Amino acid sequence: MPTADVVVVGAGLAGLSAGIALADAGARVELVARGHAATHWAPGGLDCAAPPGAATPAAGIDRLAALAGHPYAILGGEVRPGLAFVREVVAAEGLHYRGDLDDPLRSVPTAIGGTRRVGVVPAGQGNALDPWSPGERLVVCGIAGYKDFWPAPIAASLARAGVWVEAGDGGRPSRVEAVSVELPGQAGRRNVNALELGRAFDDPAWRREAFERIARAVESGGRGAGRIAFPAVLGIADHAAVLEDAARILPLALFEVPLVTPSLPGLRLYRALRDAFRRRGGRISIGEPVIRIETSGRRATTVVLSAAVRERRILAGHVILATGGIAGGGLIGRADGRLAEPLLDLAVEAPPVDEWLADDALAPNGHPLERAGIRTDAGLHPLDASGKVAFENVLIVGSLLAGQRYIAERCGDGVAIASARRAAATALAGPKSESATRAASKRPQRAKAGSRS
Amino acid sequence: MTIAELVQEAQEANYLEVALSADECLKCNVCNTVCPVARVTDLFPGPKYAGPQAQRFRLATTLPAQSAIAPHDASPDHTVDYCSGCGMCTIACPADVKIAEMNNRARAELKAGHRPKLRDWLLGQTDLVGRLGVIFSPIANWGLHNRLGRWAVELVIGVHRKAPLPNFASSTLRARLKKADVATLARKGDDAATRAAEPPPDRAVVLFHGCAANYYEPHVAMAAIDVLRRNGFETIVPEQVCCGLPLMNNGLYAQARNRAATNIDVLADYARRGYRIVGTSTSCTHTLKAEYREMLDVDDSDATVVAQSTWDICEFLVDLHEQGRLDTGFGRLDERLPYHAPCQLKGHGIGIPAMDLFALVPGLEAIDLDHDCCGVAGTYGLKKEKYDIAMAVGDDLFRKVREADTARAACDSETCRWQIETATKTPTKHPVEILAAAYAAGDLERAKAPIESPAAG
Repeated sequence: MPTADVVVVGAGLAGLSAGIALADAGARVELVARGHAATHWAPGGLDCAAPPGAATPAAGIDRLAALAGHPYAILGGEVRPGLAFVREVVAAEGLHYRGDLDDPLRSVPTAIGGTRRVGVVPAGQGNALDPWSPGERLVVCGIAGYKDFWPAPIAASLARAGVWVEAGDGGRPSRVEAVSVELPGQAGRRNVNALELGRAFDDPAWRREAFERIARAVESGGRGAGRIAFPAVLGIADHAAVLEDAARILPLALFEVPLVTPSLPGLRLYRALRDAFRRRGGRISIGEPVIRIETSGRRATTVVLSAAVRERRILAGHVILATGGIAGGGLIGRADGRLAEPLLDLAVEAPPVDEWLADDALAPNGHPLERAGIRTDAGLHPLDASGKVAFENVLIVGSLLAGQRYIAERCGDGVAIASARRAAATALAGPKSESATRAASKRPQRAKAGSRS
Repeated sequence: MTIAELVQEAQEANYLEVALSADECLKCNVCNTVCPVARVTDLFPGPKYAGPQAQRFRLATTLPAQSAIAPHDASPDHTVDYCSGCGMCTIACPADVKIAEMNNRARAELKAGHRPKLRDWLLGQTDLVGRLGVIFSPIANWGLHNRLGRWAVELVIGVHRKAPLPNFASSTLRARLKKADVATLARKGDDAATRAAEPPPDRAVVLFHGCAANYYEPHVAMAAIDVLRRNGFETIVPEQVCCGLPLMNNGLYAQARNRAATNIDVLADYARRGYRIVGTSTSCTHTLKAEYREMLDVDDSDATVVAQSTWDICEFLVDLHEQGRLDTGFGRLDERLPYHAPCQLKGHGIGIPAMDLFALVPGLEAIDLDHDCCGVAGTYGLKKEKYDIAMAVGDDLFRKVREADTARAACDSETCRWQIETATKTPTKHPVEILAAAYAAGDLERAKAPIESPAAG
């Protein structure tokens, strides 16, 4: 049976970050996932904390770390080094971020004409972070025929002061305009989507023409200093070069506004992380769901994946569960009113079933279900109902951790990064399972040396 | 009937398992991010639109007839015909929607009731074409590999003049095996005594050679037989027909069911006696493993035992290695080897066994090219109207192969090999051919060793 020092289940920000840290340290890591997930659904930023009232992500982290039961209570110190690590890793893949934990949280526009408070965003969204100068305008630029970004209603909404939440001085533009531009070759097309536009922007000749048209449209709207809000479609494979061209050709600074799925900023983050993981020798299989994890006493022994026939079994030293929360399938609601963790049937900390249907999913204090998850010790081992470590070689990361309200607190990416770092350290420090050590002696990579004796 | 019972019933009926999985769709578009066809053409709107989204319309016509559980996949438009069936969408889907399977069924339904195009009919008949082609191989190869001939084929039949067509072998694998005494050729009418004389299942496997190895590339099967023999396994080659996948790809489901029945009839007997069925074609083995059930609704106990006993050759060898039973006496192959994992392999869910095997060969530096699909997807890329799409899908892969600038490349699936070889002019081998070469290099090293060692020591 193939053997891994660590099997990571889940290919989101938490799973990939943990995999990269482990592979970096020389561990043999198998990352398995049932499909692509949260990265493709999210705006691509690295939101660490933005609870109401916090001025900076760092202040937000401190505030959350003071809450009993919040993951930051045990992981607060890991966010800063974890963030630095992930930024360095993806920067080496050509994906850069702006903003820092000590910079003020800024309100930036969304694709439905609202705002969200952010600290660390992809470079493509970076220009939204700068304070607005007096008289500065915001040009919301849409693309003719593109259905996921409507400049006129977005601009009308952003023109209302109340939309710019907690924006102090320099917190919002003086006026907001809407323009729409027809991009080359798009006239009369149906089904123009973010992926097609992203790929079109990867073509240098096409994008130069496109930016020239955008420049003309922006200038037709008015004069004066300002910034352009543009849908997040500025390239997939060649994003950094697209941003350079935008800066060179456009009369105003541009920032991307993340869109409904598929999120190109998220896709870029996923690809950078995946490439970094593979570059370090990590092995990744997508599309083969884990159907169960076999255990022996307080140890997980074998991760069992579905296959066309039979099963694929991987002997694991450690198992990192990065399977996500309710949206990702890491937690599932059972018909009997129980919230369950499907792979190891871990004890789930969850609100009573009558709170599952609480009215306001986006309430300022969060939805009761957001907090549901697995309770762990400081090393991220899952705890059973009596508070004892349930499995000594299983570690929990990301939104599967109990006690976070990742929508209301905007802490999901920070929890993912911090827990990935902690889990990697725990796995590296802990003894490998006996079975894994035994089987490692005959795994394919090692057999090479002894084959011709 | 309770909801749980309804769900149970739906799960038991294969058709509904595929059809109703549309209900799990979150509309998240992840499938569209990985679709290699939508990446290069507007003619296909992407798996989400052609699959779960269009499925609403299909289900509207299906459900009233639910009792019959008959597929009735009327599509709202014809764009699903441009799906190549590579399966990347199903792999990427975080909600376990059977997108590719849904689209395959919808394509079949699109064609059901229409007389198939001559071209599509012909591309489905790989065994008939193969048999005739081998008999007339000198003239057939000449006809199919000169410009005038290919131009005529494109005009009359609709197979693109530049599409990768392999050479017919001068004789079939079965004919060669009759002469060379390296495998046991079994016939359907063999009596019990002949059966009993076959080597037992702990020392032999059953080879499913498929059409490619029988009519075009007997050397691939010969390499597999050699590699198996070195590891203590004789090869039994029973009578068999095309797995049926090319028929399914071209919407000829009734014929595909016939092929499935014939193969299952022969193979189930071996499987029940404990033999493993090993194939060199990842697409044939995937058909035996999964598509008879998922696509043809053939899931009786015979089909199940065949599926459970089927192994891709590299999967089989890695399994031997994990049991410590693989002969690792490979000689040095000092070369870089670009490798493409075909999309059908990903459907097996067995990882990338060829890369694990390459790692055992001293000196061999295999490079996983990490590309989704070469474009050809069985017979898709041969078609006049789809050739350009297929070439665009594989473009990045071809670039990587050319840039690697090596003597050869490797890939498990035959149509992908032909596509890569035609596009890049780099000879492209089955992994088992590479392994056979490494064993041969080992033989040579050992033969030389006694002469060289006194000088060295």
